[in-house]
Amino acid sequence: MSLLKFDPWWLLRGAVLGLLAFAIFGPIANLLLWAVAERWYFPHMLPLEYGFSFWARVFAPRGNAMVSLLNSVMIAVLTVGMALLVAIPAGYALARCKLPLRGLILIAFLIPQAFPNLPVYVNIAQLFYQVGLNGTVPGVVIVHVTHGLVYAVWIATAAFSAVDRELEEAARSIGASGLRAFADITLPLAAPGLMASAVFVFLESLDEFTGTYFVGAPDVSTLPLLLYTAGAGGNYQVASITALLLLIPSIGFMLVVERFLKADVLSRVGR
Amino acid sequence: MPGSPFPRDPFFPKIFLSHDLLPHDLLLGSSPVMPRYSLGLALVLPALTIIVLFFIVPLTASVIGAFRIGDGFGIGNFEKAFSLYTADIIFSLAVVALSTLLIGLFSIAIGGYLVLGENPRAVAILRWLYRWPLFIPFIVVGQILRTFLAKNGLMNNILVGAGILTPLQTTGLLDWRGIVIAFVWKQTPFVALLVSGAMASIDRGTIEAARNLGASRFRILWEIIVPQVRGTLSVGLILSFVTMMSVLSVPLMINAQSPTMITADIAFRINSYGDYGVANALGFISLILTSCVAWIYMRQAVKERM
Amino acid sequence: MNAIMRTSLALLLLSAPASAAELTVLTAGDQNMVDYVNDYLGPLFEKENPGNTVRVVGTGPGDAGSQKIVERFTAQSGAGSAKWDADVAVVHEKFAGPMVEKNWLLSYRGDIASGKLVTRSNADMALGTKVSGFVMPMFNSQTALAYNPALIPTPPKSYDELVAWAKKNPKQFGYNGIKGGASGVSFVMGWIYAYGDGSADKLMNGPFEEAETKKWDKAFASLKEFNKNAVLTPGNAGTLDMLSRGEIAMGPVWVDMFYSWQANGQLPPTMKLALPAPGMPGQPMHYVIPAKSPNTKLAEKFVALATSPKVQAEGIVKRFNWYPGIDAKHVQAELDKATWDKLFTSITPDALAQYGKPFPIAPYNNAILEAYERSVAN
Repeated sequence: MSLLKFDPWWLLRGAVLGLLAFAIFGPIANLLLWAVAERWYFPHMLPLEYGFSFWARVFAPRGNAMVSLLNSVMIAVLTVGMALLVAIPAGYALARCKLPLRGLILIAFLIPQAFPNLPVYVNIAQLFYQVGLNGTVPGVVIVHVTHGLVYAVWIATAAFSAVDRELEEAARSIGASGLRAFADITLPLAAPGLMASAVFVFLESLDEFTGTYFVGAPDVSTLPLLLYTAGAGGNYQVASITALLLLIPSIGFMLVVERFLKADVLSRVGR
Repeated sequence: MPGSPFPRDPFFPKIFLSHDLLPHDLLLGSSPVMPRYSLGLALVLPALTIIVLFFIVPLTASVIGAFRIGDGFGIGNFEKAFSLYTADIIFSLAVVALSTLLIGLFSIAIGGYLVLGENPRAVAILRWLYRWPLFIPFIVVGQILRTFLAKNGLMNNILVGAGILTPLQTTGLLDWRGIVIAFVWKQTPFVALLVSGAMASIDRGTIEAARNLGASRFRILWEIIVPQVRGTLSVGLILSFVTMMSVLSVPLMINAQSPTMITADIAFRINSYGDYGVANALGFISLILTSCVAWIYMRQAVKERM
Repeated sequence: MNAIMRTSLALLLLSAPASAAELTVLTAGDQNMVDYVNDYLGPLFEKENPGNTVRVVGTGPGDAGSQKIVERFTAQSGAGSAKWDADVAVVHEKFAGPMVEKNWLLSYRGDIASGKLVTRSNADMALGTKVSGFVMPMFNSQTALAYNPALIPTPPKSYDELVAWAKKNPKQFGYNGIKGGASGVSFVMGWIYAYGDGSADKLMNGPFEEAETKKWDKAFASLKEFNKNAVLTPGNAGTLDMLSRGEIAMGPVWVDMFYSWQANGQLPPTMKLALPAPGMPGQPMHYVIPAKSPNTKLAEKFVALATSPKVQAEGIVKRFNWYPGIDAKHVQAELDKATWDKLFTSITPDALAQYGKPFPIAPYNNAILEAYERSVAN
């Protein structure tokens, strides 16, 4: 591309990327502004007064923002662990083994995402009361795993399918056991894909509201529960601050993932 | 289709999948010593148990509830659901279908530019940019777009401030358009992430060859790349479709008009009347709609492979 | 002094070692309800009952919040739990009746001192169900028309005037339909009181007659016509939101929400309230105690404190500008005149008495909502 051509192209690129940036960061800027707005109403385009009094309210000793944040992260981590624990064997089987009704099994994992959850969680709560899981972290984790399993299993399946069988076969042919070949060859090669599934399970868990409410509250409070109360009631400042808190773990996690995604993009060279 | 012996079913994401796996490779997969069916089932069983126990069982209870009237059974709940909410059912389908379409187009555009873009800086900026909304929960999306898209919201204020619009030209987008914008805003990064991953793992050879023959980048994207990532794209879009069908916070916060989304009606039946019968019936209708979409896709995928 | 306090503290701890408990309070409603217990009532209660702690859980705004409390109780009663996981719940009026009918609640009003200070009829009947004894009102709320005095110097005094005004100023009136929260519902109920062919008294006091539900066709037809000039807003908060952004000039809102928005700086301080004839419904929020609460005695103490004249004056009226739950005369005695008058700046006590109506009894309530869905929204 010649230098002369370079300039007009940047005009177009700049326009498109600028528009995209506006579409993405405009609403987010809105969130940031509300988080520090003390007074904001028509006809003022920007807040009339900035301050942190609502932050003080959110972080008041009796406010449970910090507890909720820790709870949210802990539940998400446990959910990822449990989901991967069952999704790795399942994904491997779905990718490699001969299975009856394979399509149906895959669809089964989609159901928790497909059905409006509200009536289902009411029934789950009733079940959990009987077995003493209601209001406990394990109860909430189970609900989140159920919900996030579609990402874990589907992506794990894809990741395992992407692993070259010949490498496995080569390992087997020089005498490695099936388990050994899996642990040394297949699992490491599928790891980036498994990481991707972990990210989605993590984010799903972090976002989950309805199930947490029915199964967790009042004993287990998470950020979405706080956010819901503040947001739906129209307390924009508190809702925005809670939403910002909710973004911290997501972005932190995504930064790690960024690294692995780059590696994956590079890996296409060898394919 | 169920019972297909081929592990390479089209109905799973081929995100990181090289496209040149041949069927005969697959037969080498499972160990010859182990009985294939039982090993596979044993591995799938824990995950499947979770789904059955903690979702399908309560779901069945809810479906039974949809047919329960008083002490007996019947279709009264469905009659009521259709007589009151037919418009809402159509509206939900239309809004979600339009959103799905837009999400698909935007994801292809984003993924395509990431693969084919010639300016590394622009590609890097786009890669950094597009993924942000992925972090943001639906409830926050509803909340921030409500004050952003309104008639005198931040967006119009900025546009007026920048001299692009006059105050008289502003309109609020808090109706079906707001819902579509919210869905597209939140779901595009997810699908684009899947699609660009799949595009990245496509063999560069054909792309380079086409480019050497002088094909435009648009044609390469549309005729070479998209067909190869269609599986991943469909999976992403189906996941988005079903997710959008079950989101409650966005329609509640953004769309005040009627018709509204089915989820808002479900919540309303429960909260205002304590009427689980009609709520379950609406849930059942929504399940049927989403299953249809998944089923149509699967049929098509099977036909293509035959 | 210090020694005395320490001794009495030690005595308290010794005399009631088993009373060190965590009191769980479930509250429906906005964040400010949670804040109220967290910032004010909880610490106050803990000071008076050392060793015990109060934990408050907000279950979400609007009817959905109360419905979730109902679902928790349903699940625990269905599972046959011996002790439930809540000691006190704050619910909307509409949900008190069903809870009483299912025998979930403790009849406690006779056991607490403030029980005698409540004589208003809505503390005995909740939408047609007798609830006296089982509930104590936390506060009374009312819907009213919020308006921007800069644009509307003289607010409409009746529904008729409102209709005429909306015709002259299309798309300047907004309400949230019936699916987005109770302020819109209240507006619709007021419409039926005003324009329904039946008797509004019967709707409010019963008995339920099927024939009565056929008398609203004309009212709904005119409401559908009215809606053409109105804006539908997303939720209770949505109406306030559009008012604050100047997109509408008037709309029905909860008085308590209106004041907390002003306090939060989300609404211009110049906005005002008006209550049109023949009136709009309001409702109390009730304190209830589940019969299977693990700490019933402590729960009673908590509600007794919460409904004492002092707390009603300090907490409910002074802090939030809410109408008190117990009879006003007991509260007025605890307050200075300025604070008391501030409560009635926009709506006079007379107007409140005359135009503050109850909601229709439950079966009419549901019938009106469903008729609205069928004939106005469809």
